[in-house]
Amino acid sequence: MGVMRVTILPEREVREVQARTVADLLLELGLHRDAHLVVRRDEILTGDVRLAETDEVEIYPVISGGGR
Amino acid sequence: MRCHTCARPANVEIRRSRIAFCAGCYPHWFRARVQERIDHDRMFRRDERVLVAVSGGKDSLALWHALTRLGYRADGVYIRLGIGGYSRRSQEKCERFAEWHGLMLHQVDLEGSEGFVVPDLREARSGKPCAACGTVKRYHFNRVAAELGYDVVATGHNLDDEAATLFGNLVHWNIDYLGRQGPVLESTHPGLVRKVKPLYRLSERETAAYALIERIDYILEECPMAKGAKSLAYKAMLNSLEEQQPGAKYGFLVGFLKQGRAALPGTGFEPAAELRACARCGQPTTAEVCAYCRMADRGRRRRERARPPAGVDPT
Repeated sequence: MGVMRVTILPEREVREVQARTVADLLLELGLHRDAHLVVRRDEILTGDVRLAETDEVEIYPVISGGGR
Repeated sequence: MRCHTCARPANVEIRRSRIAFCAGCYPHWFRARVQERIDHDRMFRRDERVLVAVSGGKDSLALWHALTRLGYRADGVYIRLGIGGYSRRSQEKCERFAEWHGLMLHQVDLEGSEGFVVPDLREARSGKPCAACGTVKRYHFNRVAAELGYDVVATGHNLDDEAATLFGNLVHWNIDYLGRQGPVLESTHPGLVRKVKPLYRLSERETAAYALIERIDYILEECPMAKGAKSLAYKAMLNSLEEQQPGAKYGFLVGFLKQGRAALPGTGFEPAAELRACARCGQPTTAEVCAYCRMADRGRRRRERARPPAGVDPT
């Protein structure tokens, strides 16, 4: 299991992380599964999807707050 | 993981229901849930005119998209809140969405028509204008809907918003607010238009997934004024619980609406006989001058004080 690069939106912060699956990736980054979507090549991935170090993965935060 | 409908590889999992959908089947599932709530909670009929309150974010644009795809007559309303570049970018998202789908978008320009912007409404103690911003939005959504003859105002509040609001109201034991919290706020006066939240049982993640799959171009960045807002702390806490117990947020909110709310005194939907027209703006209120007009006065005064004297170059 090698190191992969992931981009966290909206600031496009790049992190390097070791993760076997999408669920592992979020756990490794300390991000809640219900607060993020993991996207590879325009496709949303479920938690069980296996990741390779060559994958280009983006993480979309989904939480908004304030006076609603 | 396989799609619950067609067994192809799944893209979006709904952990609380232990099901998942592929990108092709997911939008159908999402819109069916929206339709189910509209019908079950008697939010509006097909012959009624709906005004969707849009912010440029994923929830309100996903709602507008879903309602349109479900065949409802839905127009949009956007309020220019004057929160710098964030407001300009969110306005652009709404305008582009309306143009792309050939929909009518009404706009309210706070600075031009009211003489203040949301940053003028910062609270002295917290430094945040979020509560006042909520009042501004509710006031103008209702006013525009009433003036233009819409039957109902629909907002993009999702499960996470509603669960966080419920949690906040419990933390502070705001009994009055608890009694009124729900997916439908009935009209109690001819000047108050019915308010509905068709996405209230869909999570924020599910709404974002719908927006991404349907290629809705929404504003990803967070409102700069909302950083550190209490609602975000409540959401993070509820998502920690959800991590361990999928379905906890849903059970918390839906359980309250089904059982908890009934135990509270009054639902807040009794005809409001004591309402009268605000002496300033004419909108229904219990006071001589409504809360919005008093707040707008404070905003204008603060804006006036912050303005550099004539002849002085602000740069």
